[in-house]
Amino acid sequence: MSSLNASLATALSGLQAEQGALEATTNNVANANTPGYSREVPVLETSDPVTIGSLTLGTGVTLESIESIRDPILESQIQQETQTQGQMNSLVAALQQTQTNFSSTTGDIGTAISNFFSSINQLATSPADLSLRQGVLTAADNLASAFNTVANNLTEQRTNLDDNVEQTVGQINQLTGQIAQLNGEISQAENAGGTAGTLIDQRTELIDQLSSLVDVSVIPTGNTLTLTTAAGTALVAGQQSFQLSTQANSSGEQDVYSGSTDVTPTIVSGQLGGILQARDQQIPSLQNQLDTVAAGIANAVNGVQTNGYDLNGNPTGATDANGNPQTPVYLFNPPPAAGTGAAADMSVAITDPSLIAASSDGTTGNNSNANAMYALGNQAIVNGQSPSDYYSGIVFDVGNAVSNATAEQSASNQMLQQLDDQRSSVSGVSLNEEAANMIQYQQAYAASAQVITAINDMMYDVINMTTLTT
Amino acid sequence: MRVNPNPLPDLLSALEQAQQQINTDEQQVASGQSVNVPSDNPANAAMLVENANQTATADQYLRSLGSIQGEMQNADSALNSVVTILQRAISLGTEGANGTNNDSDRQAIASELQGIQSQLVSLANLSYQGNYVFAGTATQTAPFVLDSDSPSGVDYVGNSDSNQIAVGDNLNVQTNLPGSELFSNPSNNVFQAIQDLITSLQNGTNIASAVSELSSAYDYINTQRVFYGNAIDQLNTQQTYLNSETTQLAQQQTNLGGTNLPQAITNLESSETADQATLETISQTEQNNLFSYLSR
Repeated sequence: MSSLNASLATALSGLQAEQGALEATTNNVANANTPGYSREVPVLETSDPVTIGSLTLGTGVTLESIESIRDPILESQIQQETQTQGQMNSLVAALQQTQTNFSSTTGDIGTAISNFFSSINQLATSPADLSLRQGVLTAADNLASAFNTVANNLTEQRTNLDDNVEQTVGQINQLTGQIAQLNGEISQAENAGGTAGTLIDQRTELIDQLSSLVDVSVIPTGNTLTLTTAAGTALVAGQQSFQLSTQANSSGEQDVYSGSTDVTPTIVSGQLGGILQARDQQIPSLQNQLDTVAAGIANAVNGVQTNGYDLNGNPTGATDANGNPQTPVYLFNPPPAAGTGAAADMSVAITDPSLIAASSDGTTGNNSNANAMYALGNQAIVNGQSPSDYYSGIVFDVGNAVSNATAEQSASNQMLQQLDDQRSSVSGVSLNEEAANMIQYQQAYAASAQVITAINDMMYDVINMTTLTT
Repeated sequence: MRVNPNPLPDLLSALEQAQQQINTDEQQVASGQSVNVPSDNPANAAMLVENANQTATADQYLRSLGSIQGEMQNADSALNSVVTILQRAISLGTEGANGTNNDSDRQAIASELQGIQSQLVSLANLSYQGNYVFAGTATQTAPFVLDSDSPSGVDYVGNSDSNQIAVGDNLNVQTNLPGSELFSNPSNNVFQAIQDLITSLQNGTNIASAVSELSSAYDYINTQRVFYGNAIDQLNTQQTYLNSETTQLAQQQTNLGGTNLPQAITNLESSETADQATLETISQTEQNNLFSYLSR
């Protein structure tokens, strides 16, 4: 036999549950535009029934929990793709800046190479002409400064990227610290039997941000998470975060350390991976190629220059007119033997145009040596290629690197957009849905309230049933 | 099925892409260049470097060719004068060989020949833009100097070398004949021949053989002169070739890196249409949701 009081309690549970459910809707609507927010769904369950005699009576409804709707697999895919996107974003930004040095403009290296060899061909038409000789020196100066400018730009870019490495490591440390703290709060909330939906949302959002900076692997451990880089460097374990640090290496650039281990080469994706790729691979490779051209030209030109005679008939090689040793008269200051820094240091060794060795026999009007010097422009003096061929190869490499990275970037953007769409279709807040839910909860609430009114009336009837009417 | 309730980020990124495409298209139309940075087309960018180098080289060949063309034309016309003068000398010699002449006639002819000798020296010392053309490679000194001790009366102080100039990737042309070969060749020394004729006329002996010596020197110079004529022809041919090469290179450059304007403008228009369509879509995006209908 049930009691009116029990019915009242059941009706009340309905009121409370619907009110709680409405809370979830309210929170969803409030967070409709919060990044990373996963919509919440109230979990309503029937309360345990009571059995009295042969009757089993329901005891109403319980708001068991409020659950956040998310798809962990989708989230981990998003984190993966975010890493690629972060890497490509920083790589593309760096390379686009790099390639402006190789656009064909009036002062670019390709033009300077052509102009230099042209000036020598012109000198050959009148080898004693001082203004033509001056023209060769000017063209040589322009060539050297074209190399200097690009080499310096690349060095400066590496320095800027190096600063970025430090900044990015700082950001990573800040995020891992926050994630470790959230790990603590989440496990505390869940150990106390509660749900930690919004905290988990916040943590997921932070992991997304971290993924755009560095490659992250997420390993769920109990109700916390362990984060490592893809290569296994620990970032966060439970409530503890492991800070990365930077240390200058032998070339003065910052390497990334975890504790006392240099982890620089293991970081391959995320913004940090992209920056390191540009700083340690792409740009150094270009610098190396530039050095090769600069050293190739300088050495070959010097070789011919020191094999002739200047305008005054003096030999320019290592032996003077009397057969005594002398300092050879170079056209370009000899590049470093290893070639490194050849482009940055390229400079013209002489200021006196009469010192150019146009003559091969000491006769002022002889142009054989100038012809030999001019011919270098078409000879394989740079790694088996002519200077111009080799340089055009560099331009291709730069353009290709940018174009490939850009293609990968846009593929990654599209992929991420699709994944975000999917996540949003699972976890996003739909205002229509929330409005419908609101009506539903509101109506159920109103109904429960009506039931209470009815029970109240019945109570009244019961109380007054025994009262004698006078 | 539940759909993505918030399509705006997608639409915004589509809008961004459309506008980026417009920027690219506008840049191509405005600059007239489809390859503004190497990544626009790496292969073409590399070929454009080669093209620019070939163009600069061809332009330089044309400049160098122009410089030596002037020098060689001057040399050729100097030799033309030499030939004319030698014809005059031969006819003077033939006239002097005529037995009807007396001593004073021959002296008069001899002194005219002396004038011719010094004209020849002056022509052989032709200088062009500061360089002596017939001095071999010793171009800074006048190659022929008068020397009364010398049997021919003229000494050659130049050398017997010649210069070459590249006027094509595989084309070097010789730019000069040394005076020692043209005028003072041991077997055909024109100064010696005239000097001998003068001496013969003065002595009144061996005039006929001196005239024949001069004739053979004349023939020799006439033969040598062909060098300049041929070289000038070769330069003219090369000039024509280089001019057509630069035209081709310019055409190639346009093909590699120029904007195909009709195509680019069509692209720009279609990008703008895409942009417009995306904007429309965004503005038409469902403004209302169920909440809008609940308000009483």
